[in-house]
Amino acid sequence: MSFTFLMQNLVNALQWGSFYALIALGYSMVYSILMLFNFAHGDIFMVGAYIGLGVATLLLALVGTGAGAMLPGWVVLVFTILISMFLTAFVGLIVERVGYRPLREAPRASAAITGLMIGIILETSNIILMGGQRVKFPQLIESVTYNIGGVFVTNMKIMIVLVSLGLMLALHLFVTRSKWGMAMRAMAFDYVVVPLVGVPLNTIAAMTFAIGSALAAAAGILFGLAYPVLDPFMGVSLGWKAFVAAILGGRGSIMGACLAGFMLGFIEIMTVPAIQIVNRLFNLNLGSNLRDLIAYSIVLLILIFRPHGLFGEPYSAKLRL
Amino acid sequence: MAQTKTTSSPLPRGVKNAVGRLFASVPLLGFLFGFLACVLMEMAVGDQLANLLGLSKMPVLFGIVTIFKAIAGLINTLFKGAAFDPGTLVHIPMALIYFSIVYLAPITIVTRLTSRLANSLADALQQTSLLFSALVHLGLLYAILHFWGGMNDYRLIVLKLTLIAILVTLSLNIINGYMGEFSCSHPGFMAIGAYMSSMFTVGLFVDDKVLGAAKLSFSLAYLSFPLALVFGGLMAAIGALIIAIPSFKTRGDYLAIISLAFLFIIKSLFENVQALGGARGISGQPNWATLPVIFAVVVIGFWAINNFVNSTMGKALNAVRDEESAAEAMTINTRKTKMAAFMFAAFWAGMAGGLLAHVMRYINPSMFGIQKLAEVLAMVYFGGLNSVVGSIVGAVSISLLSEALRPLEILKWIVIPLLLILVMIYRPTGLIAFREFNIRRILQPRRPESKEV
Amino acid sequence: MALLQVDHMTHFFSGLRAVHDFNLAIEPGEIRGLIGPNGAGKTTIFNLITGIYTPTEGKISLNGESLIGLYPHKIASRGIGRTFQDLRLWRHMTVLEHVKMARYSQLTYGLWGAFFDTALRRKEEVESEHRAMELLSLLGVDHLADQLVVNLPYGAQRRVEMARALAIEPKILFLDEPTVGMTPEELVQIMAIIRNIHQKFDLAIFMIEHRLKFVMELCEQIQCLVFGEVIADGNPDDIQNNPQVIEAYLGKDAVEA
Repeated sequence: MSFTFLMQNLVNALQWGSFYALIALGYSMVYSILMLFNFAHGDIFMVGAYIGLGVATLLLALVGTGAGAMLPGWVVLVFTILISMFLTAFVGLIVERVGYRPLREAPRASAAITGLMIGIILETSNIILMGGQRVKFPQLIESVTYNIGGVFVTNMKIMIVLVSLGLMLALHLFVTRSKWGMAMRAMAFDYVVVPLVGVPLNTIAAMTFAIGSALAAAAGILFGLAYPVLDPFMGVSLGWKAFVAAILGGRGSIMGACLAGFMLGFIEIMTVPAIQIVNRLFNLNLGSNLRDLIAYSIVLLILIFRPHGLFGEPYSAKLRL
Repeated sequence: MAQTKTTSSPLPRGVKNAVGRLFASVPLLGFLFGFLACVLMEMAVGDQLANLLGLSKMPVLFGIVTIFKAIAGLINTLFKGAAFDPGTLVHIPMALIYFSIVYLAPITIVTRLTSRLANSLADALQQTSLLFSALVHLGLLYAILHFWGGMNDYRLIVLKLTLIAILVTLSLNIINGYMGEFSCSHPGFMAIGAYMSSMFTVGLFVDDKVLGAAKLSFSLAYLSFPLALVFGGLMAAIGALIIAIPSFKTRGDYLAIISLAFLFIIKSLFENVQALGGARGISGQPNWATLPVIFAVVVIGFWAINNFVNSTMGKALNAVRDEESAAEAMTINTRKTKMAAFMFAAFWAGMAGGLLAHVMRYINPSMFGIQKLAEVLAMVYFGGLNSVVGSIVGAVSISLLSEALRPLEILKWIVIPLLLILVMIYRPTGLIAFREFNIRRILQPRRPESKEV
Repeated sequence: MALLQVDHMTHFFSGLRAVHDFNLAIEPGEIRGLIGPNGAGKTTIFNLITGIYTPTEGKISLNGESLIGLYPHKIASRGIGRTFQDLRLWRHMTVLEHVKMARYSQLTYGLWGAFFDTALRRKEEVESEHRAMELLSLLGVDHLADQLVVNLPYGAQRRVEMARALAIEPKILFLDEPTVGMTPEELVQIMAIIRNIHQKFDLAIFMIEHRLKFVMELCEQIQCLVFGEVIADGNPDDIQNNPQVIEAYLGKDAVEA
């Protein structure tokens, strides 16, 4: 168990955490505005990945691949990400319009149910359209591996972490600097009064869904690059875990969602070497499939001792609708 | 819960009124007679009639499956270019005719003809104790289910699973409806019940690769089945305690999250404990979950849950949900109330899990995941919050619907979610929400003059 | 020893002093008033005594037993009933269910009875219903027993809330602005009702009220609270003539009543 081994896992954890963080942002933003969990978000991530697949395939067909390509791979990648984010934002808008807006006055649990159901519809539509088979995500950039003092880092990993951080920074700037971002924060602060001073709730809510979905699409494409096999249920496992990360970060906290996403990735990746160490120390034979069990137990413990998450505000009467 | 929009009934008003008038003086007993007549009719002539109508065999679920099979065939022809088979289209009117002859006609005729008799019998029963009267009705209901399910193995399994779904839905409604919290851990409780009761039955009485050779063997071993179920239920309740202790200190969405984490933990725990079969699970449960056993457990569960939610102790849940500070000020120990109700609900979910394990006769952790959660939640919210009748309606409709739509294959998973979304939009708390179940009123005789009630 | 004794109660909300050195002694059967401008901390005092908040400093005791640190439901079952300024009724319950619900701590049938419909449960539920109906008729709302409480007019809702508070069989009743939003006729009726229950149950009453006329007529002793501090304590005449009270309170609200 050397230092390089630890660093290697840390690099992997950073990559893995980026996915969680980007998806968790969507959950957290919607929660901060509407105080409800968008259970369809994991499946929007899946849709985003597939849209990315479609866009990438289309672009590759247009510009050609390999040596004769008109554009280098990274340009195609940038366009893929941008176009897919744009398109997936519309998916988010539709979900909000169909599943959430009609239920604005209804109990929040009912909206949670429509979210779940929209998720199922998205999965099923995918199976119908794509035939339910796993599909391969095209490799847009040539993978290069760097050896930094024994730690192997691919250019892909660096790119994934940098793009994720860049998107988070962009979101942060948007929320703190722009007019609409401030309106969003105001709405998160008080959902009842702010609409009275002329900030339209529906517009803000739609915007939140659109931004969250766009980020999920970015996560989907990055995921497709790192693990180039997509399947219709990829949003279920990853999405629910990202949801847990959003909670762990503190409901409605953007900063918290990012950090908790990385943290969950870290916990998940680190449990594997931790189990190996325990096995070696105590001569046990624990399987690495204990990962989920350990990760969720840690989450549960954190939540028991910090009910409002790591960075969330303590639960207040304001949250009661 | 004011209705935001008037719900459009599938039937025109005139038809509805006419049907209402037709059955206005029929007590529950009369309907039971009617259904019994249908079932006996189907037993007597079902096969021959199906043959006569050109249906390959007796329609399993009132002919709905047959109809959807024909529709699915049509869809395949239109979209997938499958060969067109006009023969299946004929099945649609034939199935309708079958349904009319075997179900619609007898129920109309028999209930009308026997309404006088049924009313006087109901009168007589009302003079006896409520318990006796209820038992007579239940006996009739069981006879109907028994004969109906006995005609076909597939029917029997659908019936069993539907009954179990009723129990699960009822128990989840305690938490999500009566208590107004959002619990995601119900599949986890079912898993605990299923595994623990299987450990009991398979471990003790069956030679099994995972749980070892049978430790005990005697001919009346199945009598211990209730014990196994209760054991599973109690274990689920203890699991619930683990969630309840931290969760009910704070309000809001906290339970939703803790219970979700709990569900994931339970699932991956069972996946990892090799002594319980790991990801492959346990199979070879003895075939003890027969229809009478399930029926009895579900009836007892319904009775206990209905008792609970109608008692002041149980209604305290509503008080806590609607205005917790007032509940505290009125001497209600809110935390204890919530914890007790949560554990009670988990107990019945565990019982249902135990039954499920012995109906399927195999269990594995993937049966109790997010998908199960979505299914159970769908049943609760479709049927209606804060209502035992709603739970029954929800469980029965979603179970039967998902069986009836089976011929549509994958499209089923678009139709059912869409339906639920529509229900949520037009009736956010479900079809039959906030209704009390008054057994006395349901069993009472119905005379035309007492119609205005 | 008074029935309810509060000594040197002080409370801070994250550094902000809401109540300062509040003292109170209520004898059995006494009607006492607490007046003061909005935001003076009157409801906070109710919440402190009934256990919703725990005071930063001070002592509270009922019949000589300390109430500090007890859960609100425990304090309520010791004998402090209360109403809320903003009518905290339960939306989905009928009038009768409200009053029966408040008899929760008097029920002994427990969970076993709740699940299995035992004979004891039936007996207790019937008894509880009788008591509830008595209270409802005392407050003149027995004809509404089966109505959902949200469908009632405001005045009736107030009475239901009062009946509910009486159902816990309190020794002392806290009324938080019982006349808010009432018409003059309703005002006369509610005054009669308060007098009636006071005599019938020999009940001590502690009320927060804005309408001075109402307080002056009902209460034997009145305290005036401004910015969390009692600036005057005495009988209605004293209070009416106290220059500080006039300045802090009547100056602004003299239009009322």
